[in-house]
Amino acid sequence: MYPRTHPIAVDDVEAWLDAHAITWVRTDGITVDGLVVGKHLHRAKFLNALPAGNAISEIVYGMDLGGAAHFSWWPRWRRDALGDFVQRPDLSTLRAVPGRAGVASVMVEHHDLEGAPIPVCPRACLRSVIDQVSAAGYRVLAAFELEGMLFADPLPVARRKGFRNLTPMSHPAPIGYSNFNAAQLAPFFDQLLPRLDALGIAIEGWHDEAAPGQFELNFAPTDALTAADSIVRTKQAIRELCLDLGHTATFMAKPSDAYGNGLHVHHSLRAIEDGTPVLLDDDGDMSALMRHWLGGIVATMPAATSILLPTINSYRRLVGWAAAPTTATWAEDNKSTGVRVLTRSPSSARIEHRLAGGDANPYLVLATVLAGGLAGLTDGDAPPPALTVSGWGLPDGWPHLPSAIRPASDLLERDARLRTYLGDDLVDHWVESRKWEWLMFHTTGGDPTAATVTDWELARSFELA
Amino acid sequence: MESRVWNWTAGWGQSTRCSRAANYARMAAVKISTEPDPPPIVRILATTLRRAAEHRQIARTLGGMRGVAALRSSTDPQCATMRFDRGTIVVDRGVADDVMVVIATDLATMNDPNPPKPQVSGALRHPAFALALAKVLAPPNDTWSDGAQRFWTATATHPGMPPAIEIVDTDTGERLLLGGGEPRVEVHGATHWLTVLFSGNSILGEEILAGRIRFVGALEHLAVLTGRTIAGMLDGASES
Repeated sequence: MYPRTHPIAVDDVEAWLDAHAITWVRTDGITVDGLVVGKHLHRAKFLNALPAGNAISEIVYGMDLGGAAHFSWWPRWRRDALGDFVQRPDLSTLRAVPGRAGVASVMVEHHDLEGAPIPVCPRACLRSVIDQVSAAGYRVLAAFELEGMLFADPLPVARRKGFRNLTPMSHPAPIGYSNFNAAQLAPFFDQLLPRLDALGIAIEGWHDEAAPGQFELNFAPTDALTAADSIVRTKQAIRELCLDLGHTATFMAKPSDAYGNGLHVHHSLRAIEDGTPVLLDDDGDMSALMRHWLGGIVATMPAATSILLPTINSYRRLVGWAAAPTTATWAEDNKSTGVRVLTRSPSSARIEHRLAGGDANPYLVLATVLAGGLAGLTDGDAPPPALTVSGWGLPDGWPHLPSAIRPASDLLERDARLRTYLGDDLVDHWVESRKWEWLMFHTTGGDPTAATVTDWELARSFELA
Repeated sequence: MESRVWNWTAGWGQSTRCSRAANYARMAAVKISTEPDPPPIVRILATTLRRAAEHRQIARTLGGMRGVAALRSSTDPQCATMRFDRGTIVVDRGVADDVMVVIATDLATMNDPNPPKPQVSGALRHPAFALALAKVLAPPNDTWSDGAQRFWTATATHPGMPPAIEIVDTDTGERLLLGGGEPRVEVHGATHWLTVLFSGNSILGEEILAGRIRFVGALEHLAVLTGRTIAGMLDGASES
């Protein structure tokens, strides 16, 4: 039964902790870079701070994935002396952590001391965009496809090896959907799937993918916030299980020359009042709403690239004939385009956005895709003609996506439409943080002439992306 | 070969001695371009050459140079190639196969008072070109006070900048107040390090972490000032 949310009133939390024998509550918040940050709080401390939530240093938003402080700009929401903000828990997400007796986790949003959301909090940003979609009269149903890679090496060994020459947990030939490979991954998934179920995460399926050790998890459609929460929690669960079993996982976009890790996201719209699907009209054709929505998503795709491909490494995945899109295009059931549209039936009609890498922040991915749709709806966009050829290998003159972090962030910086729905604070912070990422790569050991993944990228993203 | 190749601000001190129009006239004879999406070392080199071109003598040298040179870091992968063709200069990433002169230097220590000498290869085969290269990559420094004035002119209106900066030379006791009002931030340092900073050769935050510069003020202002020194290093004060 989806979505699997179970709102808990503040007054009922103590009983819930008792019923689940919980002593410690781990807060799970997400930074702009997609890092999961929080604290393990004794239940008394957690209970005492409800409903506002416990404090955490705002420095968690001021560090890059390499641990360096972002220190070249100062967003207006920051306090001067590296003060605290609060982790406001979403009590509907309170769950016992499988495999860790006595520990619960809860998703949090970061708010200032007056209770207002930090404008760059990714979860709060998605919530804001969802509210804007709701104001337009629609409810979002969303589902991600998460790709990752599993290696037999324990994490300390993988670190010593610099995350190179690891032993994949499936056959190294680039053959996807192999059930022989799946059999090699199955012992891991046999332990993972019950943990996800215990977290309330509904999985529709999983299969072997084409890179060594690669898998894909397909999530059941749910509300947009839960969909993004599920990605964060699933990555965490996979990492925790890897620690338990002595394995290593990565979600970085391109950890080797093999196929990369994507984070495709499907979504559809329903009328708020009665839940009716609205992407198709009575004749089964794309509705005017869908045409505007799709038009906006395709039009904003070049600017959205910065958020969907957040790191230097993300862009290595963006090569033709390697499953990732390289153009701002769409078509019906064409996996070489940036946007794949599926209109087989009103209830299953949906839009699959195929650009995001496995290293992308799921909240910001969904927020940005929906912002593009809102822009198209508001401005009456029409989609360009559907692509009728392969989206890969196209010559100049086609709508190629930006292929590096700086050109992509420059496009986002100038995109007034995405700013309207994402907010200037988020866009400005994001753009500055991408400039920072670019600067760190070039000046702290990254090699811009390297044709393949560098040690710098592996050290930065293999564990944390 | 002088070691301080990053001096992109050499023209700052010249601004009172020659008109901006005259500077532009000289620069017009020298066209400097980069690849699209250039990495930092390419941007810094291009900025250095643009500033060098503001000097009459150096602009003349730039206008006559023909050849290909590379600068590479001796400690990390940063490197760039400069192609000189009688006033048309293109700076790209990497070291091209046809470079005539290669300069290898430690970018982290080249601002030290007594930096290690860079290694130069190809100078014996191309002595005139190597000499010209040394000249155009090492234009003369400003005084720190001239540099700070120019920095302030370019950055004072940037969002988040403090209304006033007071700079204190801990060697001489000289003080310079830029802007006015409160809160005022203070930047303290020895003459050498202030000169390096305000000639665009270093980044404020890094200098503070290294203990070469001291700062009195809010983190907000330190962060924004650091960002402006990065922007100035990459693209020159006019881009700040």
